[in-house]
Amino acid sequence: MIFKCRNCFGNVVYSPEKKKMYCPYCDSEESHEMKPATSTDMSICPDCGGVIPVAEHTSATQCPYCNNYLIFEQRVEGDYLPKMLIPFQMGKESCKKLIRDKFKKKVFAPTDFLSEVRLNTMQGTYVPYWFYDYDVNADYQAEATKVRSWSSGDMRYTETSYYDVRRNIDVNFRDIPVDASVDMPDDVMDLMQPYNYKELVDFQPQYLSGFYAEKYNMPGNAVEGRARKQMSEDASALAKSQVVGYSSVRQVNNNITVKSAAQKYGLLPVWKYMYTYKDKEYPFYVNGQTGKIVGSVPISTSKVWAYAGTLWACLLIILMCVSMWMSVLPWM
Amino acid sequence: MNREVRNLAFKQYFKYFAGWFIVAGILLVVTVGAFVVKSIGTKSDAHNNSEAPVERVFDYADVLTAQEEKDLSNYITEKEAYGTLDIVIVTLDQPMGISDYEWENNMMNYADDFYDAGKFGWNKPDGDGVCLVDNWYEDENGSQKGSWLSTAGKMIETIGPTEEYAVFDAMDRYIESNPYKAYCAAVDELADYGKFGYGDQGGDPTWFCLAFIVPFIVAGIYAAVNLSQSKAKDTTVAGTYVENGQMNVRSRSDQFIRKSVSSYRVSSSSSGGGGGSSHRGGGSRGSHRSSSGRSHGGGGRRR
Repeated sequence: MIFKCRNCFGNVVYSPEKKKMYCPYCDSEESHEMKPATSTDMSICPDCGGVIPVAEHTSATQCPYCNNYLIFEQRVEGDYLPKMLIPFQMGKESCKKLIRDKFKKKVFAPTDFLSEVRLNTMQGTYVPYWFYDYDVNADYQAEATKVRSWSSGDMRYTETSYYDVRRNIDVNFRDIPVDASVDMPDDVMDLMQPYNYKELVDFQPQYLSGFYAEKYNMPGNAVEGRARKQMSEDASALAKSQVVGYSSVRQVNNNITVKSAAQKYGLLPVWKYMYTYKDKEYPFYVNGQTGKIVGSVPISTSKVWAYAGTLWACLLIILMCVSMWMSVLPWM
Repeated sequence: MNREVRNLAFKQYFKYFAGWFIVAGILLVVTVGAFVVKSIGTKSDAHNNSEAPVERVFDYADVLTAQEEKDLSNYITEKEAYGTLDIVIVTLDQPMGISDYEWENNMMNYADDFYDAGKFGWNKPDGDGVCLVDNWYEDENGSQKGSWLSTAGKMIETIGPTEEYAVFDAMDRYIESNPYKAYCAAVDELADYGKFGYGDQGGDPTWFCLAFIVPFIVAGIYAAVNLSQSKAKDTTVAGTYVENGQMNVRSRSDQFIRKSVSSYRVSSSSSGGGGGSSHRGGGSRGSHRSSSGRSHGGGGRRR
C-alpha cells in the first residue's frame, strides 16, 4: 500500500515533528488516502511499477525509482499484525543534530563522519519486538551478617551476627521488550532501552509511511529466553533490594515462580546510520523516541598521530621556552 | 580521501590547534628574539676594568708547573671573554681550620678578600667575576684540602649551591691526578655560567626534564582519553518494567542464627629514630658581605 495526497497525489509520510501525516510536496496535513497494492507481487512498486528489491522480512521500504514509501500489507496483517507501536518522535534532522552534538568532540573520528552527505544516509526503521508480561512470585533467601567492633584495653573485638533472611514478593512485569530482528544486534537493541511506553499506540499502517520496517523474523517463543533471563535478574534484584541494614548479604536461594505470562508483538522506532570506513562498517543506532545513541566511533589512525603529535610538539615548544626563561634568560 | 574531505580535515585541524599555535608561536618568537638580543648584547660586552691585575692564576701551593700556569692563564683569558666575567684561581697550602665551621669561614674570607683586594671584575673593579680558592693543606691532624668559590656581581645570582657543586664535581674528577685539568674543567663551567646562566649540564635539569617528559605524558593521556569510548550505558534498572513501578512484599523475616566473636591484641608501635646523612664540611653561604663591605656569594667543599 502507499499513502497518497488527496491534493497533489504526492507520497504522504508520517512527520515525527508534526505528529501527523504530512505531504512534503504540497505541505498538506492529514490529506492522505491509502492506495492499496494492485498486485500481490511485492517487488513491483504500486505507484511507478518499478521492480524493487524486497528482503525476506521487510514490511516497509522506499522505492528506489519514485522514492515513494511502500508498505506491504501481507507483512502487517494476520499473524504479522503488530498490536502496538511507538511512532517516531524524532525526525531525521533532530537525529542528525543529536549525533553531531554527541560526537563533535571526537577529534579522532574520520573527517567526513559527521558530514551532511554521510548523515543523510540515515534511515528510520521500525524494529519488530516481542513484549512479554510476567506476573511472578520471588521467594528469596539469604544469609546476612551484621558486624560490630569495639576495643577494650589493648584488645580489639569483632562480633559477627548471622541472620537467616527471607523475602517473598509479588512482581508484575509489563512489556519486557526483546527484538525479533535477526539483523539487529541483540546487545545494541538492549542498550537502546528503555522506551517510554506512555507513547505506545495501537498499530496503524500510516505510521510506517516515510520509514523502513520489518516484520518479526523470529517467533515469540524463540526469543523469550532473553525476556525470562531479564525478568529473573530483575526479580532477584528487587527482592534483594528489600534486604537492608546488613554488613553483607549472601544469596542462598531464590525461587521465581511465573504465575502468568503473555506476549505481544509490536514495533519500536530506531534510526540507523551506517558509516563505512576503510571497508569496515560502523553502525550507529538512535532510539527514535528518546534519542539515545548506541555505537562506537571509528578511529582515524592518521588523526591520532597528527593531533597527539601536534599537541606534543606545541607543549614541547611552550615548555622549552618557559624553561629557557626560567633558567637562562633571567641572567640576561 | 578526496580533495574536499582533505581540505576539510586541514581546516578542522588548524581550527582545533589555533590557540596552541598562537601561544607556541608567540613564545618561540619572543624566546628566540630574547636570545638574539642577549647574544648581540654579549658580544658588545668588552672587558672594562683596568685596575685589576692581568694575572689570573696564583699558584701559592705550587701544584702547577710554570707551563701549566701559563696555559691556564691563557685559557682563562679566552674563557673570560666568552663568559664576560673575571675568573681568578688561587691555590693555597696553608691551614684554614680543623672544624668545618672554621674552615668555611676562613676559606670564604680569604676568597672574598683576595677578590676585593685585586679589584677583580669584568665590567668594573669589584664587578662580575669569581675567585676559586683551592687549598691543599694537610698535616698530621688531617686534611684541610678543599675549594671555595667566591662570587661577585652578576655571578652572585647566577651561581647557587647547585652550580657550585657542579663546578666542584667537575674539578673532583681530576684534582688529585691532574690539578691543571681540574682547574680547566672548573673554568669551563664558570664561563658557561657567565654566558648562559647554566653550565654544561644544560641549565636547571628539572625544568628541561619536565619540558621533555610532560609533553609525552600529556599527549599520551590526551590520546587515551579521546580513544576511549563505549557504545552506550545501560540505562535500565531492575524496576524499569515493573507495573506501576511497585511490587508487593508478601512476607519478610529476619531470623538470628548465631554469633561469633574474634579478638586480637592491638600492639602499641614505638617509633624508631630517624636516619640521617652527613658529609664532610662545605656548604653555601648565599649572599654576604666581605670584610671590605662588598657583596659576595659562593660556597665551598672539602675534600
